[in-house]
Amino acid sequence: MNAAAVGAAPHVRGVSARFDDLLGRRVSMRALALLRALAGPAVLLHLQPFLSDTLDGRTYRDAFYEPYAAWYPQLPDAVYVGLLWLAVAAAVAMSIGFLTRLATATTFAIDTYNLFLSTTHFHNNRAYLVIVLGLMTVAPCGRELSLDAWLRRRRGRPALDPSAPAWPLWLLRFECAAIYGASGMSKLVDPDWFGGTVTWQRVVRARDQLEAWPLPDWAVSALTDRGFHTGAAKAIVLTELFIAVGLWWRGTRYAAVWVAVAFHLAIEGSASVQVFSYLAIAVLVIWAVPSTRDRVLRIDPTAAGQRRLGAVVRWLDWLARFRVEPAPAGSRLEVVDRDGTTIRGATAVAFRLSRLPLTAWFALPALLLPAVRRARRGGRNTVTVAVAANNPLSER
Amino acid sequence: MRVVARRVVVVTVVVLQLGLVARGYWSDHKEFAFQMFPESSTWRADVVRVTADGRRVPIELPWSGYRWDELVQDRGLTYPQVRHHADAGLDNQLAFLEAALDWVADNTPRDGETRYLEATVTSWHNADPRRVEVLRSGVREEAG
Repeated sequence: MNAAAVGAAPHVRGVSARFDDLLGRRVSMRALALLRALAGPAVLLHLQPFLSDTLDGRTYRDAFYEPYAAWYPQLPDAVYVGLLWLAVAAAVAMSIGFLTRLATATTFAIDTYNLFLSTTHFHNNRAYLVIVLGLMTVAPCGRELSLDAWLRRRRGRPALDPSAPAWPLWLLRFECAAIYGASGMSKLVDPDWFGGTVTWQRVVRARDQLEAWPLPDWAVSALTDRGFHTGAAKAIVLTELFIAVGLWWRGTRYAAVWVAVAFHLAIEGSASVQVFSYLAIAVLVIWAVPSTRDRVLRIDPTAAGQRRLGAVVRWLDWLARFRVEPAPAGSRLEVVDRDGTTIRGATAVAFRLSRLPLTAWFALPALLLPAVRRARRGGRNTVTVAVAANNPLSER
Repeated sequence: MRVVARRVVVVTVVVLQLGLVARGYWSDHKEFAFQMFPESSTWRADVVRVTADGRRVPIELPWSGYRWDELVQDRGLTYPQVRHHADAGLDNQLAFLEAALDWVADNTPRDGETRYLEATVTSWHNADPRRVEVLRSGVREEAG
């Protein structure tokens, strides 16, 4: 029974309608298609220890394990081993996009089954992987970047609509932010964590490893100093909370993504977290605005440098942000953003690289340079003036 | 119908996730609570088999063809006598140790002498003073 049926107040119906509209709005599934391709290696890496055991003739049942529930089905060893190898095949198929829906669902089902076989199987990175696989299973993310789409084109059949209702994407965004939020909040409310005791003790106990790194003595002294951790712990907690919140707003999103990548690289360098870093960085692609080809890159095809840049965009534009169009001979490289802002030359190169998944982390800081900011502001002003000139009623 | 189903699924997932995050604050196993690197706590344990005639035999010594380090290979429990970091927190670690004692007691059928396993655990929760506690497996009826 919906809100209208029970005679809810108009504002409740309004909220409900907006919520339904948000969930049902058709958006590009491109980011989930890219994530699907990236998730396959994470599945293979996370299965590796289980597979390694099976190759040595062992399964989880040959040593201590603890089922979550007595009723949970325990399969014969041969079937269990077969399932693990089926998950490998399914993960590869999912990644390349062959029978994508079936492959993703199979990977999700086997991974989930394996996760809940024993409390000892549970790790945060595996939980996150199961969440990602589950949401990709319900989203039609095989219509692009897939062998299925290629085969369809080859058979001369029309491409399937690459957009779909947005709710799986919103849910995955929620899960992504919830993970940073939950982690940050648990540290914020723990005086030992927020006060620096936890990080200080961890570093002091790992001093031998720290001294094996090529660090100067003063750095080792600073890192093992209690006072340093009083501040560092707060910075870590606030970083996690900033990522959790900052991802939701357009004004802070790029900063949050940049910080998140740096944060995961730092964790990967200092702790063993299995596939967590890789997966968490891969999932960040879902924060791209879910529309495609809404920016234009204009290149002069007669200029070798611009041609090369155009080729780079075609190869690395995995999120399909740009349409590449030819410009008249002698033109400077030009990028038109989705709001109509036009930027040219070196600024356009920096902007364009900041919108490609592989180069974004390196290029985003360049957008903070005063010259680049001025150029983008100038591009925006040009748009405003042009719009105002076309519309005499508009305000300057 | 589809609209309602979509709404139900989304709300269920959100509520479930928030519930699991909250559950992480009191549960030993913090599934889907995503509390990363929660503590700097450490622990060690002297684990013995207590036989029917009252002997206390350290599990570092093989028995009836069994070895502790072959029976328990996960979650940092392979060498309990060595002081370890409690990766997912002390409560989680000790819950695993307790479950491991039970599993070994239940899955060593050739052992006809052990009545139960016992772990004397010394733990250091972050910077708190050390704490000693004793964990025991269930009693094995097959012990002679």
